[in-house]
Amino acid sequence: MIEVQNLVKTFHDRKKGEIPAVKGVSFTCPSGKIFGLLGRNGAGKTTTLRMLATILRPTSGTARINGHDIQDRPADVRRSIGYLSGDTKLYDRLTGRDLLHYFGALAGMSRDRITKRIAELRETFQLDELLDKRVGKMSTGMKQRLSIARVLFHEPQVLILDEPTAGLDTVAARKLIDLVGGMGKRGLTVIFSTHIMTEAERICDEIAIIDRGIILEQGTVDALCHRNGTGTGKSLEDVFIHAVEEVSVEH
Amino acid sequence: MRWRRCPLSTKAFAVLRKEITDTLRDGRSVFAIFIFPFILYPAMLFFSSYIQSKNMEAARELQVRVGVVGSEALPFVVDSLAALQGVTPVPMTAVPSDIEGSGVNAVLVIPHDLQAALARGDSAKVELLYKDAENKSSAAERRVHPFLDRLDLMLTLDWARAQGAHAEAAPAFTVESRDTSSKSEVGRYIAALVIPYILIFMITAGAMHTAVDATTGEKERSTLETLLATSATRAELVLGKVMAVLAAALTGAITGITGLWLTFSVIAKAFPTMESRTLDIAIGPDKLVLIFLTLVPVAIFLSATLVAIGCFARSMREGQTYATYVYMAAVFLGLGSFGEAAPPMKNFMIPILNTALLQREILTGTVQMAHATAAIGVTVAAAIIMLVMAVRLFSNEGVLFRN
Repeated sequence: MIEVQNLVKTFHDRKKGEIPAVKGVSFTCPSGKIFGLLGRNGAGKTTTLRMLATILRPTSGTARINGHDIQDRPADVRRSIGYLSGDTKLYDRLTGRDLLHYFGALAGMSRDRITKRIAELRETFQLDELLDKRVGKMSTGMKQRLSIARVLFHEPQVLILDEPTAGLDTVAARKLIDLVGGMGKRGLTVIFSTHIMTEAERICDEIAIIDRGIILEQGTVDALCHRNGTGTGKSLEDVFIHAVEEVSVEH
Repeated sequence: MRWRRCPLSTKAFAVLRKEITDTLRDGRSVFAIFIFPFILYPAMLFFSSYIQSKNMEAARELQVRVGVVGSEALPFVVDSLAALQGVTPVPMTAVPSDIEGSGVNAVLVIPHDLQAALARGDSAKVELLYKDAENKSSAAERRVHPFLDRLDLMLTLDWARAQGAHAEAAPAFTVESRDTSSKSEVGRYIAALVIPYILIFMITAGAMHTAVDATTGEKERSTLETLLATSATRAELVLGKVMAVLAAALTGAITGITGLWLTFSVIAKAFPTMESRTLDIAIGPDKLVLIFLTLVPVAIFLSATLVAIGCFARSMREGQTYATYVYMAAVFLGLGSFGEAAPPMKNFMIPILNTALLQREILTGTVQMAHATAAIGVTVAAAIIMLVMAVRLFSNEGVLFRN
């Protein structure tokens, strides 16, 4: 379960002064659900997810992941999450096996457990062709499979995925989204950010639209469309654009 | 060549203008072009002049003992030597087999029958025996050398008077200094001067790339976030990286020294034309172990410094630039091993320089406990401070994600 309460993040810049990136975000994602964070570039999605992954420290507010406070028990939080960003790369000079052993060790897994886990994931992620190949020589699809295998390797209960389809072609992106959808069905709690509406519509149990560091709308896809007058042919994209433009006008 | 075809056209100047503008707007380039040469090069020159003047000062204050064998042949020699600043003549009956062991730094050997030989016009030799590989002995030679020149002139005039010949004709005797250092002593002396310096620059060079790659490389390759989201603590991550850099640094030093040893002690001996270049660098295993042990704290200090700098840098290019400054500073401090023979205690308080000096003492067998304690203590403290700083920088999101 993910509980976020009034999370605020302000960056300090010597020239520009205070830059508020997230201004009091609150939401709850129950266990086993997929929560989508929709927003434009610079809306505050990445900063929010980085705070949840304890990569960034919140300026104020709290969040609990699986009952662990992100400020008080960051190590417990990191143990229970798997974090993947679309921008994130892998180590080109390592083989797939090296990489899984490395991240397994960082997660505190024993060598035996790592070997067993590789065997468990071998089929799902077709690891045979990845294990002894250097990451630098893998295709984009192979890297993507290895990335997901890495995220799931230490069996986290919560997945934090920041625009995981960024840079992927349509087919690869669809495969990944289906995979994420499958994880939700297997009982994992997933929070993922995107600016692609179809991805969110396809797998999310609940969605929050974020812009300028504020959550504008929140609910299931159906609820959001109803609230904004669905039945007149409005899609999630229409709801999103309407919400974002409304804020722009106010500003 | 017609102007149109000349590459020095307005387009070339447009490129020049763009590159200059680009360079001047890059803080690192401005630092490298203006600030760095303005501060560092004068500082380096100042430091080397300072070391040189300190060496000269130390040499002036040095007291040397010169043994005189056969002083009855030239009775004024003992008094003349005593008149020289910092020279104590010690009359001796025979040339000792071990000059330093006999309590003198050099020995002036005058043939007992010198006057008679001069009168006969026979050849004779007045020799100053010394060891160039020993600091005090070579200082004694430098101190006595002008006196030997005067003695040569005086004896030449005596010889000319006795022979009725012109003083410019070649005399049948010589007055000269002779270096009695064995090849192993020369090797040990050069090793003591050069090895500490080489080790310092080799560990720095070995650490540089790995440090920047392991830190700034994570940012540039976009692998940092993944790493930070693992359950490893920042201290564990930094410690792992410092250990990797340390391994690279020490391996670089060992490889470099092995390469030098192979070149000058083994390969050079296989080529007759290179025989004069061979060095008999025989360092005992006890000294090798001590050298390695003293190298570890300074290697940790340099590794932690480079990791801290790597955490701070925004890109590999920036990281390499900063690492180069560390490299230059380390090499510069390592040059201290070429400095004065008996450096003051304060020099053992400066990290890197203190290790170079301590290693020189180890190689020459002149280790002082106070020097060793200060050098190791200060370097370990500096290494701990840099490790803490590296962890703090790696935990500071403002530093890790600064753009």
